Amino acid sequence: MNTLKIENLHVSVEDKEILSGVDLTVNAGEIHAVMGPNGNGKSTLLAAIMGHPKYTVTEGSIYYNDQDVLAMSVDQRSRAGLFLAMQYPQEIPGVTNSDFLRAAMNARRETPVSLFTFIKAMEKTINDLEMKEDLAHRFLNEGFSGGEKKRNEIVQMEMLKPSLSMLDEVDSGLDVDAIRIVGNAIKKLREETNMSIIVVSHYERFLDLIEPQFTHVLVNGKIVMEGDASLARKIDTEGYDWIYKELDIVPAAQEEKKRASVSLGACAVNRAVK
Amino acid sequence: MVITEKVITLIPEAGYSSYDIDTEESVSLQLTGRYDSDLFLRIRKAADVTIHAALEESAKLTLLVWNEAGSEVHFDEIYEVNRNASLHVSYGEVFQGKTVRCTKVTLLGEGAFADVSSAVLTQTDKQFEITVTSDAPNTTGLMHNYSVVLAGGKYDMDAVGVITKGSHGSQSHQTSRSLCFDAEMNSRIIPKLIIDDNDVQASHAASLGRVDEEQLYYMQSRGLSEQQCTALLSTGYLMPIVDTIENEELKGILRAELEEKIAELCSI
Repeated sequence: MNTLKIENLHVSVEDKEILSGVDLTVNAGEIHAVMGPNGNGKSTLLAAIMGHPKYTVTEGSIYYNDQDVLAMSVDQRSRAGLFLAMQYPQEIPGVTNSDFLRAAMNARRETPVSLFTFIKAMEKTINDLEMKEDLAHRFLNEGFSGGEKKRNEIVQMEMLKPSLSMLDEVDSGLDVDAIRIVGNAIKKLREETNMSIIVVSHYERFLDLIEPQFTHVLVNGKIVMEGDASLARKIDTEGYDWIYKELDIVPAAQEEKKRASVSLGACAVNRAVK
Repeated sequence: MVITEKVITLIPEAGYSSYDIDTEESVSLQLTGRYDSDLFLRIRKAADVTIHAALEESAKLTLLVWNEAGSEVHFDEIYEVNRNASLHVSYGEVFQGKTVRCTKVTLLGEGAFADVSSAVLTQTDKQFEITVTSDAPNTTGLMHNYSVVLAGGKYDMDAVGVITKGSHGSQSHQTSRSLCFDAEMNSRIIPKLIIDDNDVQASHAASLGRVDEEQLYYMQSRGLSEQQCTALLSTGYLMPIVDTIENEELKGILRAELEEKIAELCSI
């Protein structure tokens, strides 16, 4: 039950291949960290699982509970238990947090949630995430600070109780206290529901709170190394260079950086000549 | 009360009253605003509707015109607002019938005030031409137009604010917003300001756009179907019009009618 199985996943954005054959299995209750330098496909992997229209799966498969995820619409994936806490949550003016969340909760229930139950749950969640009391009445993410938006993602997670949560750098933009609050809320929810987690993060502090049991390193759209929690710790202290050396690879972002420096150099030469 | 006569003359009493228009014929409504009145006008069926309203000095009239006709209706409306009188007109246009509306509001006396607002949710043609003219000093003319255009819908809005020479100290402000769910984007807003005096304040804001793909994805990723997203976004778009009405009874009617119709249209 509740197993996510990804095989040979190839994903393109505007005809550029970002993921080139990813295999990943997440069993119920497991916590997996996906690490890797920026621009190598971590967010793409999560967005492709959720079904972002910009990302095209060109090859491979994703199954969740033996259901073909790629054949499902975005909302069906959500109702099947998948949740993505986004790196850049959208602002939706005119739609209040409470209307949105109530509609989202009702979308996955046979009978609508009663107003009383909803308000109680909302109050508790706002309290857990230490957010301002007026959250329910504010428009969805509109005018929220970066940190508030990230916390609001976790509010939604807590209310919707998914069976698999994906956290896309949900800790970036959070201060030390907020990281603790968010980390604890996720941990508590996991204890209650046994949800599985795929976490993308650059911060050891956050990973320490989430305690992933498995680590996958994504470079150039492929998982190049896998290990347990100790791999995440090693990356945190030593970086990725030892992996590049060991495997003799150059990550995508560094290649781009090299190209960029050539053009900068050319401009500098042009200016010097003038 | 149901209006079936061709010509009717009304002096609305103070407080709330409501009238239904239900006829195959054309209807002409002669209104005199004398007190502080709140009027709910429901059009069930009609050919042409003519409204001529004159607000006497210091009178206050709030009018909600709710058009639920299933066939085409032409509206021709003239409002004259005298010294220190105050007029609120709100239009609810969320039904299948086509609408062609020409509204002319003239602020005739010093201190006169008018606020014209419209909420449109459409799968058919809705055409509006609204002109609010300040023709005396220290008057205020406001317009708020919100529309959601669904597949097959067409929306046209000419919003004109006029301040004539000598109407110093007057204000003319307008906001028009249109949200399209249709790929055809059959929506057109033309905001105009015609100002012929120096000592005035005037502004216009218009926005017209399709639903953002990223917003839709975000909402769907929480389990909402495209129809549910459309309904929520439409509610968010049209509800601000409710706040332009002061009278609680009219507010309640408008909110409930809008919610019901949004739920119905967006679940198709």
